Amino acid sequence: VNIKALSLKTIPTLFVLSAIAITSPAVANGYRETGKTVKVAKSELTVTPPQDWNLLSVRLGKNAETWTLDGEQLNDVTFYGGIAIGNPLVKERNKKREPLPKVGKNMLLIEIPELLEGTYRAYRNIPVFKVTSTEPANFLGNEGVQFTYEYVDNDKLTRKGEARATLIKGKLYMATFDAPRLHYFDKGLEDYRALLETAVLP
Amino acid sequence: VKAIFCAGVGLLCSTFSPSPALATPAAAPPPYEGIYQPQGVDEIGLWREDDESERSLSNSPIVIRDEGLNTYLKGVLCEAVGFDRCGSARIYVIKEPTFNATMSPNGTMRVYSGMLLRMRSEAELAAILGHEFGHFENRHSLNQFKSHRSGTDLLSWAALLASMSPSYQSRSNFENLQISVYGNLYRYQRDQEREADLLGLGYLNSSKLRPQAASEVWQNLMKEIEASTSARGLKKPRFDRIAYTSSHPPQAERAGYLADLAIPEGATRDDGADRYRAEISKWIPEFLNDQILLNDFGASEYIINSLAETGWTADLWFARGELFRLRGNQRDYINASQFYREATILQSDMADAYRGLGLALMKTGERTDAQIALSKYLSLKPEATDAKMIGMMIPKEETE
Repeated sequence: VNIKALSLKTIPTLFVLSAIAITSPAVANGYRETGKTVKVAKSELTVTPPQDWNLLSVRLGKNAETWTLDGEQLNDVTFYGGIAIGNPLVKERNKKREPLPKVGKNMLLIEIPELLEGTYRAYRNIPVFKVTSTEPANFLGNEGVQFTYEYVDNDKLTRKGEARATLIKGKLYMATFDAPRLHYFDKGLEDYRALLETAVLP
Repeated sequence: VKAIFCAGVGLLCSTFSPSPALATPAAAPPPYEGIYQPQGVDEIGLWREDDESERSLSNSPIVIRDEGLNTYLKGVLCEAVGFDRCGSARIYVIKEPTFNATMSPNGTMRVYSGMLLRMRSEAELAAILGHEFGHFENRHSLNQFKSHRSGTDLLSWAALLASMSPSYQSRSNFENLQISVYGNLYRYQRDQEREADLLGLGYLNSSKLRPQAASEVWQNLMKEIEASTSARGLKKPRFDRIAYTSSHPPQAERAGYLADLAIPEGATRDDGADRYRAEISKWIPEFLNDQILLNDFGASEYIINSLAETGWTADLWFARGELFRLRGNQRDYINASQFYREATILQSDMADAYRGLGLALMKTGERTDAQIALSKYLSLKPEATDAKMIGMMIPKEETE
């Protein structure tokens, strides 16, 4: 066997392999079509969008998924699908040095807004955050909580948010809608609520 | 190479050796030269950019625009650096729970709320403000900009020359040069911090405040960092090591030379701890809340305990209760309940303490007591934003 010939042959193969590695789908942003039921946030939770939405490929955590109409800075719907006890809402940057608040054992519904606030403050370095209302609400056919909040984001823009959450068998299911207080929150709120109405956990 | 390097970045080489000036008490600051205006294209450009950033800062939603607080801080700055000098700085209090303050070239001083939470006296505050003012007076931002420019200019030319003789040796020489230039830029920045510390202590020595407080700031910070790392189960930090990219001298070094820089006869001076506490106390609950929600148990516990050295207040007990309840171990709820109770003993109408107590008791299975606490919360704060939710946790007859 001619060693030189062999190595010359393998070089193109390596090139092809590396080209595949480079161009392999870096999971592009997705498209969520009207009326098609889809699973969200790697959980059993499904929604049937009443209008077209965009799915962002960036995932905050294993069980988190972000949808948007015009870009996440203008309207951001994030689903948290079945976060288990002992897990944070989003992936921790550093488990030891920058731990995030976790879903607790025997968590109360009223503690969910505190969990979201703590996550936003610690994970996104948001110094101004206020929960503006907390009310009982039904979610996925269960007793749940609906809350609203307001915060100053890192771009120094004030954003408002509305979230609905529930705990099923110890797992946390939540959907949040975040948008700039100026114009976009009011503009997108009904679209978010309409999407949320279709959420089902079989 | 070293000779060429030093010629190229002379500015950097002049500051190699640690200054002997840091071992004796700091001299009084030089006489005030009057209102300073930027000189030359670099400085004028830097100030112009900075004016722009100050304009957006002054409209920023994270600035605390409380007149009383701002007047007080300005007063402390003037007390520290002198009434002639202090007019050239504008203070902005930023709501951000970290220990920091910055000064930019045109005299914009940013003071972080987390710093105010950690200070224990006017003298400590004056030490920080004086240090920041020292950066301004010595025009550190400009010098740093220039040193970065000379350093990177040198590297650009060196990269060009190295590419002209593509040998292994020239590549390796270039890489060595790169490491030493970057290392010296960081070292230069640390020396600027030392210089600002020296000048800051100069101000403090000439003021009416106790200069020894400057060193105590760093001693407290080291204790806090230790508390934070030990609660997180991390290795004990080393406070005497300088990392390659450190922007500041290590805390132990600063604590050491700041103590030496303070004039001994200043030790008996007033440090204004009572005045400071009186001014800041109304902000403590809010700043503590911001700190607690950072999820740094050790540091928060250290801060609460050190604030409580002068006596526990209802606000401090409440904050401690929240801290333990939010950590959420089963044993934490028991401690939290006790802390909330202490808060309600000192202040019987503290609605949020009853809320915390109720939620903590729910967790430990003491449902009846929990419901009593929660209905007390609702009766004290019927318009609470979570009133409906809390109401669901109480049986009907209790809410009536």
